[in-house]
Amino acid sequence: MQNEGLKNIWAKYQKEIADDHYYYLRSCIRQNFFPGAEYYFLKILREVLGKDVYDDPRHTTCTGIGYHSDIVPFETIQTVVAREFALMTAAGYRNVAVSCVTSFGIYSEILETWREFPKELQKARENLWKATKREFEIPENIAHASDIIYKFRHQIAEKAKYKLVNTNTGKPLQIVEHIGCHYAKMFPVKGIGGAEFPQVLSGMIAAWGGDVVDYPERRHCCGFGFRQYLVQQNRGYSLSNSKKKLESMQPYEPDAIICNCPGCTMFLDRWQYTLYEMEGKRYGQNNESIPVLAYEELAALVLGFEPWNVGLQMHEINTESLLDKMGIAYNPDEKYLDKNKQPIGSFNKTGCLSCC
Amino acid sequence: MPTITERLAQDVRFKESINSCINCGVCTAICAAAEFYDYSPRQIAGIVQEGNEEKIIALLKSDTIWFCGQCMSCKTRCPRNNCVGIIIAVLRKISQEEGYFVESRMGRQQLLIKRNIGSTILKYGYCIHPEIVNPEYHPEQGPTWEWVYKNKEKVYERMNANLDKPGSGTLRKIEQDTLQELRDIFEVSGGVELFDKIEKYSFEKAAEMGLASNPDSMDNYVKYISNE
Amino acid sequence: MNKSIVVIGAGVAGIEVASILADMGYNVFIIEKNKNIGGNVAFWHHLFPNNRSAAEVREYMNQKIKVPNITLFPNTEVTDISQKKNVYVVRTNKDATFEVGAVLIATGFTPFDARRKEEYGYGIYDNVITSVDLEKKLERGENITTTQGMAPKRIAFVHCVGSRDAKVGHTYCSKVCCITGVKQAIEMSKMFPDAEMYCFYMDLRMHGLEYERFYKDAQENYNTQFIRGRVSEVSENKDKSIQLKAEDTLSGLPLKMKVDLLVLLVGMEQGKDSDKLCDILHLHKTPENFIQPQDPHLQGNVSSRQGVFIAGTCIQPMTINETMQNARSAALEINHYLLHL
Ligand code: SF4
Ligand code: SF4
Ligand code: SF4
Repeated sequence: MQNEGLKNIWAKYQKEIADDHYYYLRSCIRQNFFPGAEYYFLKILREVLGKDVYDDPRHTTCTGIGYHSDIVPFETIQTVVAREFALMTAAGYRNVAVSCVTSFGIYSEILETWREFPKELQKARENLWKATKREFEIPENIAHASDIIYKFRHQIAEKAKYKLVNTNTGKPLQIVEHIGCHYAKMFPVKGIGGAEFPQVLSGMIAAWGGDVVDYPERRHCCGFGFRQYLVQQNRGYSLSNSKKKLESMQPYEPDAIICNCPGCTMFLDRWQYTLYEMEGKRYGQNNESIPVLAYEELAALVLGFEPWNVGLQMHEINTESLLDKMGIAYNPDEKYLDKNKQPIGSFNKTGCLSCC
Repeated sequence: MPTITERLAQDVRFKESINSCINCGVCTAICAAAEFYDYSPRQIAGIVQEGNEEKIIALLKSDTIWFCGQCMSCKTRCPRNNCVGIIIAVLRKISQEEGYFVESRMGRQQLLIKRNIGSTILKYGYCIHPEIVNPEYHPEQGPTWEWVYKNKEKVYERMNANLDKPGSGTLRKIEQDTLQELRDIFEVSGGVELFDKIEKYSFEKAAEMGLASNPDSMDNYVKYISNE
Repeated sequence: MNKSIVVIGAGVAGIEVASILADMGYNVFIIEKNKNIGGNVAFWHHLFPNNRSAAEVREYMNQKIKVPNITLFPNTEVTDISQKKNVYVVRTNKDATFEVGAVLIATGFTPFDARRKEEYGYGIYDNVITSVDLEKKLERGENITTTQGMAPKRIAFVHCVGSRDAKVGHTYCSKVCCITGVKQAIEMSKMFPDAEMYCFYMDLRMHGLEYERFYKDAQENYNTQFIRGRVSEVSENKDKSIQLKAEDTLSGLPLKMKVDLLVLLVGMEQGKDSDKLCDILHLHKTPENFIQPQDPHLQGNVSSRQGVFIAGTCIQPMTINETMQNARSAALEINHYLLHL
């Protein structure tokens, strides 16, 4: 990899990201599977960076998963998005921070449609008014939550307690980044670094001391496929796409995978488990699996927040190998404790994957 | 009655997504579905470009349009600025509006998605809620998820979430007035209409197949399409 | 009658026009921004369709300008052109002023900047080069190896890089790259007889009489496979070899291939020079950003402005021999214009 070439591309795709005062829009998948990621995103913004973020209880799903699995019409999702904008407008905000790549793609597609076809915008305004008596302004700035972390990556680095460096060898950790198709493949100018060599995560990884692994299937989809995952019979599609990526990254022996999109984080985590159950195969160093983290979780770790508070116990693939390399202190006995330090249930390790 | 070809052209997304196809294969080369299924976005572009009504209707009745995973990788590099992923979305829309989707195995699955994601949206205000990710149907989620699922309250509390409670925060309960706004949006913008159509055509198909005698007894059909 | 002419650009077209007009007794001032003459031929190695050395063409050009009534101004750029009736006043960055009866634009083309096709990784992956890089290496007598110093065992050529592509704003065919690819595949095969060559094309535009023979020769004698599909994505393997993805559209299957060296057949585009002159002179351009002739059939060398003429690849992509012929017709057109003023 020649860095000059990358810099040349990155220079072309540096979009504007608001500096403060964000209206936060949550992600269905992220809050289900990685609730700590969203919690720590807000905490970092507010407490570490001193920013103002509004977390409005009244916003809802963007319905993006329904839209991309074709049970929600385009007109409906436009109106739902219009409602989110109306809430933002009413709260006195102009900048949106989106926690989900699918949503971010939806917002980009809809704004582009409204720009090209003002009649669609008109219709969305009318539908929203009819249904809710609300009105809205189009946000001045729409950022994916990772854009904001990217923007402040150097400030985070300055306050960091840990680096993406293997404390045993002193060498940078080898990190795979996965961006999520809807971040920039539809509209390359909306993503930091564009669609082919996105910088949004690699910028964070570099700022925090790690090395980015560029492997052949880097740009390939994780395989979510919406209906291809949602319908149980179709899941082979999803699995095989993740497998293709894992096989391609295996020779680089990555220390971790960092994801931009909540869905991808979940799939690259869960499918590693599934592939192990089905085929007995693992893709990381020493025949172990590769820890998969959301970038918010990574930021939280780097800043020194306690791993079990961040929510790493909700990952199927253990993350301890990464914590050990980074030199992060944690208490293994506290992994499965509740808020009052009491054990939460117990594990049933017998899945039924081979029979389903 | 406008023809199907005309109906396609009425959707603004369609206009933006097919100009003319040079048959270069750039889309198929990297399509996430093309390697897994017998599917080629290049051929989809070819069929809609040709505009032959019969061929398009045959397409709308086939499994083919349901193979795409909507990753939109085919948009980035097309030398003619097409986007087959979006063409597919429009084809699927019309397939459902016309009832063609029940003619294919993959198309029939729309009922499952409507009943799952569709009702979750209107019930919880989210596309996904921990409640619907039942480990029984999600073995791939693994033992950790099973642990989360069985101990939802405590796990989410530990994660500082606000599961099913009023106020803000992850997985908060979406209040009734907000859910009502969401339902009203679905009502005025065609969302409910689409749900109803999916149900109606699925029932008709179920009746035709002898798997249901009234719309409230679709269990056999659901079982059938879940396993076919 | 003003018997002086300014020719802008000392490439194949500019020099041919200059030498013919000089023969006819005109005074010709050639303004060239580079130190050397020859334009894009200056660094080229061998030319299709007969593999002759480009040096022979350069030598021809050198001889042609060695006449008293041609004056060459190297390292010089036009900064302004104004018109007083039938006289054009051309100013340069060296403070020279020429008052002439006609201006010829022969600014040629710029090879497409392959970095703009980000998915091909040019400037990022070591073993991705352009057709221009390959000619330069061959001309300098460098060994062709992978960046790891190995002899390539498999080389792929990507057609239409920066051409026929709305994404980079170039919808046209650059005309010369198909045959350049075939020529380079044969050259590489001669150099590495055991290596496999692959050309990824959408259409093979073998428009010259001998081109089809070249194509057949490549297939039959030089281990070259032609695959109908545009390359979609290029990435780097751990060993620095290159992975490419395309669809073999004739069999309808996506394919993934590992190659040691990837050559991007870059197309032609209009550079800043012709843009600047079009701005100064308010010339019409084609939607493809080339300079628009007054009439594509009958006045192919006449620009939209009286007294301003055009020749060579600033009009459209051309091969060298087409450029020669085009230049000769431009010379006649200029002569005709000046005689009838
Ligand atoms: S959007 Fe569909 S057609 Fe396009 S690349 Fe993805 S799976 Fe293939
Ligand atoms: S990439 Fe575009 S032009 Fe090429 S085959 Fe696909 S739709 Fe057609
Ligand atoms: S000559 Fe061949 S390679 Fe060049 S643009 Fe035309 S078709 Fe493409």
